[in-house]
Amino acid sequence: MSGLRLRSVRTKLFVGVLVTSLAAILITGASLLAYDLHNVRRALTDDLGTQAELIGRACTPALQFDDSKAADDNLALLKVRPNIDAAAVYNGKGAMFGHYVRDGAAPETYPMLGGGEDEVRFSGQDIFVNRRIIDDSHEIVGFIYMHAHYNVFDRARSYLGIVLAVGSMALLVALLLSLWLQLTVTRPILNITGLAQQVVERGDYSPRAEKITDDEIGYLVDAFNRMLSEIGGRTEALEASNRELGHEIAERKGAELALRHSEKRYRALVSTLSTVVWAANQRWEFEGEQASWEAYTGQSRNEYKGSGWRRAFHPEDQETLDRFTESASKGQQTYEVELRLWQAASASYRIVGLRPVAVYDGAGEFREWIGTVTDIDDRRRAEDEVRRLNVELEGRVRDRTAKLEEANSELESFSYSVSHDLRAPLRAIDGYSQALILDFGSQVNEKMRNYLDRIQAGTKRMGQLIEDLLSLSRISRHQLERRPVDLSAMAEQVLQELQQREPERKVQVSVWDGIMVDADPRLLKVALENLLGNAWKFTSKTPDARIEVGMVEEGVRHTIFVRDNGAGFDMAYADKLFGAFQRLHGVNEFPGTGVGLATVQRVMFRHGGRIWCQAKPDKGATFFFTLQEDNPAPVVASSSSAQHPLRLD
Amino acid sequence: MDDMMILVVEDNPDDEEMTLRSLSQAGLANDVEVVRDGAEALDFLFGTGKHAGRDTKRMPTVVLLDLKLPKLNGIDVLNRMRQDDRTRSTPVVILTSSSEDEDMIRSYNSGANSYVRKPIVFADFVGVVSQLGMYWLLLNQVPGKKPFGRSDA
Repeated sequence: MSGLRLRSVRTKLFVGVLVTSLAAILITGASLLAYDLHNVRRALTDDLGTQAELIGRACTPALQFDDSKAADDNLALLKVRPNIDAAAVYNGKGAMFGHYVRDGAAPETYPMLGGGEDEVRFSGQDIFVNRRIIDDSHEIVGFIYMHAHYNVFDRARSYLGIVLAVGSMALLVALLLSLWLQLTVTRPILNITGLAQQVVERGDYSPRAEKITDDEIGYLVDAFNRMLSEIGGRTEALEASNRELGHEIAERKGAELALRHSEKRYRALVSTLSTVVWAANQRWEFEGEQASWEAYTGQSRNEYKGSGWRRAFHPEDQETLDRFTESASKGQQTYEVELRLWQAASASYRIVGLRPVAVYDGAGEFREWIGTVTDIDDRRRAEDEVRRLNVELEGRVRDRTAKLEEANSELESFSYSVSHDLRAPLRAIDGYSQALILDFGSQVNEKMRNYLDRIQAGTKRMGQLIEDLLSLSRISRHQLERRPVDLSAMAEQVLQELQQREPERKVQVSVWDGIMVDADPRLLKVALENLLGNAWKFTSKTPDARIEVGMVEEGVRHTIFVRDNGAGFDMAYADKLFGAFQRLHGVNEFPGTGVGLATVQRVMFRHGGRIWCQAKPDKGATFFFTLQEDNPAPVVASSSSAQHPLRLD
Repeated sequence: MDDMMILVVEDNPDDEEMTLRSLSQAGLANDVEVVRDGAEALDFLFGTGKHAGRDTKRMPTVVLLDLKLPKLNGIDVLNRMRQDDRTRSTPVVILTSSSEDEDMIRSYNSGANSYVRKPIVFADFVGVVSQLGMYWLLLNQVPGKKPFGRSDA
């Protein structure tokens, strides 16, 4: 069977057709043969029976008359029947009466007869017939025996010939049939088989089987094709899903790698931290290895395990620690506690910050404590040092302030003295020189009078110096009070005062409109009086004198300027200009004490601003000043900054 | 004019001289009393100490008071004067070298009637003192005394 199983469909079909035909032929042949044999036997039996009947009837008289010769003659008639080999007649008593043997036949062994039934017996190709001889009065008068033969093999042989001929024809028909079957059934199946093999070998689902017939095989081809396309689709989907899965796996691997990397980094970080990292269970007991704790405190694992770690803290801090862990366990807000922890490396207690964090698992269940111990000893010391230094510094500042206050009060009493005491002698000098002239007018000659005049001029000048010095010191002591000030209006007022003092002067004055500044009005007034006073003074010898007050904007910085076209000065001496008692002109040329610009500069300094100048001899001077450091001190209130010339004459 | 009296409280002899000269030039030097420190000023006013027995019914028409004085300074004298009924309304002119705001404020707060700074130049000084004399002696009115300018009116 296994051999059959392996054979191709084509062979199977062929063998099937062949076997079916042959079997049909054989069965038919055998049936026919059996039927024929049966008929032959029956005919023979009937024939022999009739023959025996006939011989028996013919022999009846012979028997009745006991004429065995007649019986032999009757038997001899059987010669015409070549298939009868022998015959015998028995009398009623079973004794042989007459017999016959065909010529050429083998000597016959006669059976014993007497009584019994009629019978026909077959043995091989021989037939034996026993019959009773009955007369007209139905009495048994004797028995007859016949032995015939018939040729079964000849008959079978001829039948076989027929079967063989029919078998050969059937074989031929089977061959033709199988060829036709191969064309209509096997080829499409083979096609599908080849295709299937191809698909299996190449994994290519695109080819399709050719549909030749419209029967079940056609249906099979269709189904196969549908299956192929289905499998192709499924395979594609599977491959896509595979690719996706591959991606996912790669990603997961990447994530895993990153996680491992991050964990390594974390470990590395922890190992480099000077901070001690620890973990304790819910009852504040250390479990497992606490490497950084061990490294810091020098406690062995046996020493720190359980609650042993607590003993590494200073004995005096135990109570604080207990309170801290207790309140942390109760969920009270505890961030950090400062304690003294034994450090093995320095063999000393150092101040550390203990900071625990409660760890909850995914279900929100409290699991353990993890935390840090940070050495803040150096920081504490530094802070203490800073605090100490601060206290010291404060002390020093107090000291300095006291000294400064002392110096200030000295300065105040000095300026008070200057104001009070220095002026008195001057008044006396002036008064007495006047008294000399008044009381002894007649005795005072021209030269004496000249000297007395000079004494008076000197006292006057000294009085002015004292006044200016007092003004300077007042500016230093004055409490600065900033408020918005209309500088334009203030400048115009000062210029009007100057004009009123010297009504004969003709000066072309131009003050820009709406220059608003944030300044102390009293100090600003002093500064403007000095600056404009200077401009007024130094243009006194200039025909067509001009004074201008304006503002320059440079980004956020607003610079105010006071410009004149007066005597000016050499810029080489500009740095001396703002020192007290510095003068660039002779007193005879222009009067003055040289304190004015020092006063102006002090006003600017008090405001955090500064003052500088540009000048050329005989070409006038421009003084620039700011009232705030790097800040837009002036705010232009009016939208127009156009020059607004004001004539005061 | 007879009962007109000026009290000058001045420790500096030069200033005293200048003040007297100025008053004299202004024609007001008839009755000028000079004391040289704050304590003496109070003694004079209330008839005590050195000035015991002085007729205290005769009070100065005006007091020219310097601020910087030995013993008691000008402000102390002024405060004492304003605490006493006899001198509460006596005109006091602070005549000083100081131009400090603080001195001015304290003087006015203590009840000074006027604050005048001594000019350095003598001509100006004469002008200031004579104007003061004119005003306080002749124009200013106080209870019980008729001003000179109005006596005949």
